[in-house]
Amino acid sequence: MLLDDLINPTQSDELLDEFAKREIRRAMLAAVAIPGYQVPFGSREMPVARGWGSGGLQITLAVVHDDDVVKVIDQGDDDGVNAVNLRRLVTTSTGADQTSVAAEASVIQSRHRIPEDGLDEESILVLQVPVPEPLRGVERDMRELARMHAEADYSRMWVSLYEDKVRNGVITQTTGYPCLVNERYVVATTPIPRWDIPRLHESPFLTLFGAGREKRIYAIPPRTKVEPLTFDDVPFEVEDADGASCAMCKSSDAFLVSLPNSDVWMCSDTDWCRRTREANA
Amino acid sequence: MGYVSARGGLDAIRAAERLVRRLRLTSESSWLEEDQILEKLRLLVDRVMGEAGLWAPRLAAKALRQSEGDATEAVHLLRAYRSTLPRFAYSEPADADDVSVERRIVPAFQRVPGSQLLGRSVDYTARFLERQSDDLAREEAEKLRSEASGTPDDERSEAHADGDTPQRSPQRLLEMLREMDLVVDRRRADDPEPFDITRTPARPPAARSALLSSMTRADTGALVNQWYRNILGPDGYLHEVTLGEVRHGAIDVEVRHPVTGLPVCVSSVRVTEVEAIEDLEGVDEDRTKFDVGYGLCFGHNERKAIAMANLDIACHRDAGRTQLEQSLLLTTDALDSAGFLEHLKLPHYVTFRSMIERKFAMRKARNRDAS
Repeated sequence: MLLDDLINPTQSDELLDEFAKREIRRAMLAAVAIPGYQVPFGSREMPVARGWGSGGLQITLAVVHDDDVVKVIDQGDDDGVNAVNLRRLVTTSTGADQTSVAAEASVIQSRHRIPEDGLDEESILVLQVPVPEPLRGVERDMRELARMHAEADYSRMWVSLYEDKVRNGVITQTTGYPCLVNERYVVATTPIPRWDIPRLHESPFLTLFGAGREKRIYAIPPRTKVEPLTFDDVPFEVEDADGASCAMCKSSDAFLVSLPNSDVWMCSDTDWCRRTREANA
Repeated sequence: MGYVSARGGLDAIRAAERLVRRLRLTSESSWLEEDQILEKLRLLVDRVMGEAGLWAPRLAAKALRQSEGDATEAVHLLRAYRSTLPRFAYSEPADADDVSVERRIVPAFQRVPGSQLLGRSVDYTARFLERQSDDLAREEAEKLRSEASGTPDDERSEAHADGDTPQRSPQRLLEMLREMDLVVDRRRADDPEPFDITRTPARPPAARSALLSSMTRADTGALVNQWYRNILGPDGYLHEVTLGEVRHGAIDVEVRHPVTGLPVCVSSVRVTEVEAIEDLEGVDEDRTKFDVGYGLCFGHNERKAIAMANLDIACHRDAGRTQLEQSLLLTTDALDSAGFLEHLKLPHYVTFRSMIERKFAMRKARNRDAS
């Protein structure tokens, strides 16, 4: 390669140079080897802003080949504008194909949902992470946070869950419920709803977590123990929709979102909803 | 493969892109030339290069034009472009004493070796908004341009307070303070590799080079705010700071040639450099001496370099007692903070649904306890 080619590269669709991809792959290997450990990496600036899936995008770009099929969702919706934008960047820069059907996808990049069905041993789930540090609610100082993880000292987390339960009658943690991975590290589960948490446990698929702004990658490898932090006599609770069902596909065993101040509910996983409707018809 | 679009998200994005382009490109006024941005919005170009951590005036001008003057957006465009290119060399260490100054002031003394060189500065211009009509203003500018006498060098001599020929590499005040044995000597014998914040995320406790490079690339406003929090806000890290040097000038950047192994000059960059002298008054400090903080950033951006030098010495004196280092390392980047702030515009209905569910769960638990 000539110096001139480096200084004046021809217009290219690449969003990351090859050295960066190699660096990210190495961080991912470390993350898989130490489930739940937050691996620092030299997060690059992407064409999307930090906080908008830049970490997930870097992981996806580092794992995707042109024979891959990608699905990208935001809040479970393949057609959310940010999902569309990220999918467009991934497919045009890598030549990968796209799908909305989870079972057809080899790589699924998601903001805050695990698709209701279709993930298997062949799937890689890439979750976009806004805040990778599960303990920030109880400690702000990063030096102390590093010590707590290193020594698996999660006592203050337990105390905060206990106080929460005593004060409020329930554990009020909403999404991103803290989980112990492989009996070692507590992780922030992006903020996926509690509904999705049980599906991380002993899952057949690999989950990669990318936090671009905070420059951290962590992973839950397939068949790994994932336990939501709770007490023996306080069962972990997923979101309760009080028996409601989707107004469109009639599902009641999917994560539902509602219209404001109404009893109209809908699946957040739009492709699941579409396929359920088609199967019912 | 089956991709089923439900609501035309892509159409909406494309429409928004068209609108951005149309509003930017189809106005009545003539095309905004890169040279115009480079020459007439010099300080904005400097600021964007500094916050991007990339010396590339022409690219910065393009970015500013594309972002319609949104500095943070321009920084984003430059850094995202940088991510597509491989890094093939590190520059050789440059000695700040080799900066050829265009401006240099030393507030700590009236007269100093190498003299004061006011140079280009609005510090003492009266801040009157020039309100004459555009035609008149243009006429005046044309006239000034045609008068070849007003070359920059003459202006420099005019702005030179002492009347001597200005020295371009004047001796530092710091050296004199050292001769007077008035500063804590923190020079180290070893020569560690600088910490590369673009490849390794800096977390406290970090090397000083990590702190300095984080600040040199930080958002100007963020650093100014971190500094001002010490004056009227909750922080009290800074006390009596006197500026020893404020410099703006150009310096060559050299890279080793991959074949010959010899250093070759690849660019000349302009930098602003500041040394801030602080009185040591802590009980465990040497009260007979001063200590010095350092600030350096791309382009002409004195506000930023002064804040940086002040915060550098503040962080050193804090010595990890508080989370000042964490604040400086992790909360001052323009793209980190702006991107995360703006992400609040993304849909959040999954998390919000989960929050509402817990509100009702809490109520239910309360009612159960009450009955």
